Formats: sequence, C-alpha cells, structure tokens
Amino acid sequence: MLEALSALGSVLFDPYLLFLIFVTTIIGIVIGVLPGLGATTGAALLLPFTLTMNPVHAIAVLATIYVSATFAGSITAILINTPGTSAAAATTFDGFPLAQRGEAGRALGIAVMSSTFGGIFSVIVLCFAAPLLARVAYEFRPPEYFALTIFGLSMLASISSGGAVKNLIGGVFGVWLSTIGAERVTAIERFMFGNYELYEGLSFVPVMIGLFAMSELLVQSRLANSAVEFVKLKAVSLPSMEDYKKIWKTVLRSSGIGTFIGILPAEGATVASMIGYSEAKRWSKNKDEFGKGAIEGIAGAESANNAATGGAMVPTMVLGIPGSGTTAIILVGLMVHGLRPGPYLFTEQVTAVYQIFGSMFVANIMFLLMGLYAAKLFARISLIPIAILWPIVFALSVIGAYALNSSLLDVWIVLIFGVIGFLARRFGFAVAPIAVGLILGKMVEVNLQNSLKIFEGAWWQIFTQPLAVFFLFLAFLGLCGPQLFKLVTSGAYSKRK
Amino acid sequence: MILKQQLVPIVLTVISVVIIYLALQLKLSPPMIVGDSMQPRAFPIFLMVLNLILTAILAIQFFKTPPEQPEPLTRATWMSMMLMVVFYGLTVSADMFIAISVVMFLMSLVWGERRILVAIANAVLTPLLIFLLFDMVLRIRFPRGIITNWYYG
Repeated sequence: MLEALSALGSVLFDPYLLFLIFVTTIIGIVIGVLPGLGATTGAALLLPFTLTMNPVHAIAVLATIYVSATFAGSITAILINTPGTSAAAATTFDGFPLAQRGEAGRALGIAVMSSTFGGIFSVIVLCFAAPLLARVAYEFRPPEYFALTIFGLSMLASISSGGAVKNLIGGVFGVWLSTIGAERVTAIERFMFGNYELYEGLSFVPVMIGLFAMSELLVQSRLANSAVEFVKLKAVSLPSMEDYKKIWKTVLRSSGIGTFIGILPAEGATVASMIGYSEAKRWSKNKDEFGKGAIEGIAGAESANNAATGGAMVPTMVLGIPGSGTTAIILVGLMVHGLRPGPYLFTEQVTAVYQIFGSMFVANIMFLLMGLYAAKLFARISLIPIAILWPIVFALSVIGAYALNSSLLDVWIVLIFGVIGFLARRFGFAVAPIAVGLILGKMVEVNLQNSLKIFEGAWWQIFTQPLAVFFLFLAFLGLCGPQLFKLVTSGAYSKRK
Repeated sequence: MILKQQLVPIVLTVISVVIIYLALQLKLSPPMIVGDSMQPRAFPIFLMVLNLILTAILAIQFFKTPPEQPEPLTRATWMSMMLMVVFYGLTVSADMFIAISVVMFLMSLVWGERRILVAIANAVLTPLLIFLLFDMVLRIRFPRGIITNWYYG
C-alpha cells in the first residue's frame, strides 16, 4: 500500500511526466473537439509517437488522451450541437439548448466540473478495485482465462451501434485475423501467402490506425463542403451554489453508474453516458426540463462518460480484456512497451501501475483547468476546415504506421483496413469488435490449446471448472439474456391478457 | 431485390467459405507435436463455421426486417479511395513523402478547399514537420526514395 501511495505521489515530482500530461491534455482536448476525431482515433494516431518513451510515460500519454478527449467531446456538443466523440452524444440533448438560451458558459462549466468529478471518482475506484480483482485473477488457469475471454467476446454483442449479431460477426472476424502468421506450437504458416513479414502475425497498431483513423477519414469525406452552426460563448463560468445543490446527487449517481459500466468488459463511455443521462432524468424532479436545457442532464451524461474511463482501465490492466475501443489501443500500448497486462502486472510492476493511475488523476485536474480557462479557444479549433484537417490525419496515419516497424507492409495494412473498416461501417458493422477480437484472439486460442493439454484433449473438462463455468454462464446470459427476457416477458404479458 | 437485401450475408458467406477452403489447405502437423492440442487449421475452421451460423441468423433477420440501403458514395469518398491507390503507386515508384504531399494536396481540393496556397502549404509543411519529428526525435529511418536518398545521402 505504501509503495502504491508513493508511486501515486511520485507523479507530482516527475516534471517531465507532468509536462507530458500537460501537452497531451491539450492534444486530447483538441482531438476531442474535432468532430470525428475521438479518443480512440487520437490514441491510435499518437501510439507511434510513444515508441521512444519509457513504458510509464507512454501509457500515461495514452491514458491522458483517453480522459481529456472524452471530456472535450462535450465542448462541441454544447456549442455546435455536434458531439466531438460519441460519448458526448447525450450531452447535446441539454447542452445545446442551454447554449442557445445564451448560457453556453454555464453549460460548459457544469460539463467540466461533472467530468472532473466522474473522472477522479473512477480513478479512486480503479486504485482500489484493480488490485482486488488482480488478487482473484491470480487463481486463473488456462480454462478460466479461456472462459473469461469468451465472456469478453460475448460482451462485444453490445459494444457499440449495429446489431448484436453484426458485432459478433465482427468479433469473430477479428479473432480470425489473429490466426494470421505462424501457429505458436507447430510453427505452421497460416494465411501468410508467402509474406514472411506476417510471420509474427498482424501488427496491432496499423490495424487499429486503419480501422479507426483511416476508416473515419472515409466516413468524414461524406461531409466535405458542409458548414456548422456555432453558438457564441462569452466566458466559461463556474456553476453557482444553486447549480451544485441541484446536480450533486446526479453527479454522484452517474459517476457510480459510469464506473460500473466501464468495468464491464467491452462496454464503454458511450453506453455509460446514455444510461447516466436516462437515470438523471428518471430521478429528477424536473423531468419536463430535460431536452430543453436541464443542467442535471448535462451533469448525468458527462460524469458518467468520464467515470467510464477509469472503470474501463480495470479489465484492461487486470485481465488484459479491453473495456472500450480506446482501452484496446492502450492495451496494445502496454504490450508494445513490454508491460504484460494481467494480474502479475500488480506484483511485478506495482510502481508503474500506480504511476499510470496517478497520471490519470493529474490529467483530470489538468482538463478541469483548461476546460474552465481555455474552452473558448479550444472550441474555435473545431472550426478548422475538414479539407485541411483530414489530409493531416492521413499523413499522421501512414507515417505513424510505418514508424512502428519501419515496414511499408504496415502502411498498406493501414490502407486496406481503412477500406475494410469503412465498408463495414457503411453496412452497419462497428469496427471496435473487430479490433477487440484481434486483441483477444491470441488469448482465446492459446488458452484453449493449454486447456486441452491440461485435460489431455478432453475439452468438456473445461465445464468442470467452477470459475470457468461461471464466466461461460455470464457469456451465455450476455448473448441470450435479452432474448430470454423478451420471451419470458411476452409470455407473461399474453397470459395476463 | 432479394440479392440486394441479402448482399451482406452473401459476401460474408463467400468470405467464410474461402477461408475454410484456405484453412483446409494448411499443412497437418505430426501428432507427436500437436499432442492433446488441436491442429493449426482447426481453430480458423471453427471460427468460420461460427461465422456461417451467425451469418445465417443475420440473413433471417434481414428477411424479417430488410436493412436500410446505404446512401450512394459521394464523389469525395470515391476520390479519397482512389487517392490511396495513387499513394501506393507514388510510394513504390518515387518517394513516400512525395506521395504524402501529393495525396494531401489533392485530398484538400477534393474535399472542397478552394485556397490553393493553403492546400499547398498544408501538403508541404505537414509531412515536412512530421518527417523532422520522426527523424530527429524518434530516430526513424524512412524508406529510400527521391527525397530520402537526397537527405540520407
């Protein structure tokens, strides 16, 4: 515990780390306010820049991008009715109407205070929950890990837009992508087509850049030549005491909801903000105000989406199962920098882990200050013409992908997966399940192989392991629960009729 | 009409079947190496069978509720994809940075930028700054081409 506390505190005495967090917070806010460029795309683009940093600094940079971009999505949501990130979509419901009433500063003030509280709340939960979960995860053997990854994959069904079946198809496709390269035990080459650069498998980073950044570029090309309406902002004012009295319960409740939803594998800030918003409305005494500029609506959505950032880091670091698209990239960052995600991270790299948590804490304070004093400036950035912005994203994507392994193949992979991601999105498939499937794929196959070895080929023995059965049951519930619930309720309804 | 409605399941089925075929072409490993585990082809085949089942469910869903047809691609989208091909050609034949600059410039115009000088400045300065950052700070060496040959000597 003492080691953890000193590691948390050491962040404050590392001027270079503080400088990195400061700069990255600015970059994260810029990324967040630019519609289309969310935390996930931003983290994918910045990952190659972290290659020469030490692991703690690198992951701190990615985590800072995550928290600051998630908050910054609210700036454009309030001022131009366009959420900078999907997690800020619920903020538009009340943020923009309040801004139209001439209270843009108040709306931003509520958003930044709620986001900061949600973010800090979730980091505190992260500091306590992660080591506890890690202690449980020590007991996991290959069958449990296999069942856990199946549970993680089953949660893909609800990871983002698109239907559950489409998300699962994307996830399975992603797992298949992980089989490209030489098989681990036999070294038999699979789907390499004679290209020996694929021997170790597909590099995660170019696939991520392609799926998130390049496909977004093609999606955004639809908006070429479009204009946006901008609400004038005088100054960002702090919420009044009256406002605090009105929102404190909502902020507290939504922070809890957001953190819990973030912890669930494959659930993220977008789901959290929607539930945070709807719960704020459900518990509010002024339900009629919602949709017309209710400050509780802004507080509910914003505290929940930022609370989900800390929550999503729990399964990412403890179990190696990403809680969202951005944490999938942070997970790749951990691997690239030689930090093995999993329970052993909490015994082998305690200092590093708590420094990363500490960095997230500091990042929340930094975006609070920047949100209060420079929101107007950041909001202006959202007016950069997309005809200038997206060519820059193109350049960053291809150069960043090349920089990882100095391989042109990685650049082609970015382009190919950019088109694949775009076509997938065009037909209603989300790209995050493909990315998560690719990351979890190796874990699934390796743990299945090891389980088969342990049980001497008797795969059904997996079902004799209580923890494995528990996770598989959760996976079953995740996949079939909604349908079963519908069946049961429709049966009860027709009986009553 | 049905073909249009079921286009996605058809494409997914074709992809899955092709992958299963490719997996069946993979070499078999001797039993003493594989032991109690599975052959390298087994896992991809299992995945694609799973995908075929999910695709069948998707096809049934599409029969019940036909999916919305996506809007036709805009000119800017088509041109952006074409520019990726141009980028490949220029990188292989000339230089990666020439390719990036040309593509950035053309992309700006395709996306509606009418100020030629701004588009040129963006296309020249951005790759230059990124190149200097990666070369000097991150010590990355870029692929040989007209400009990099001149720079590296």
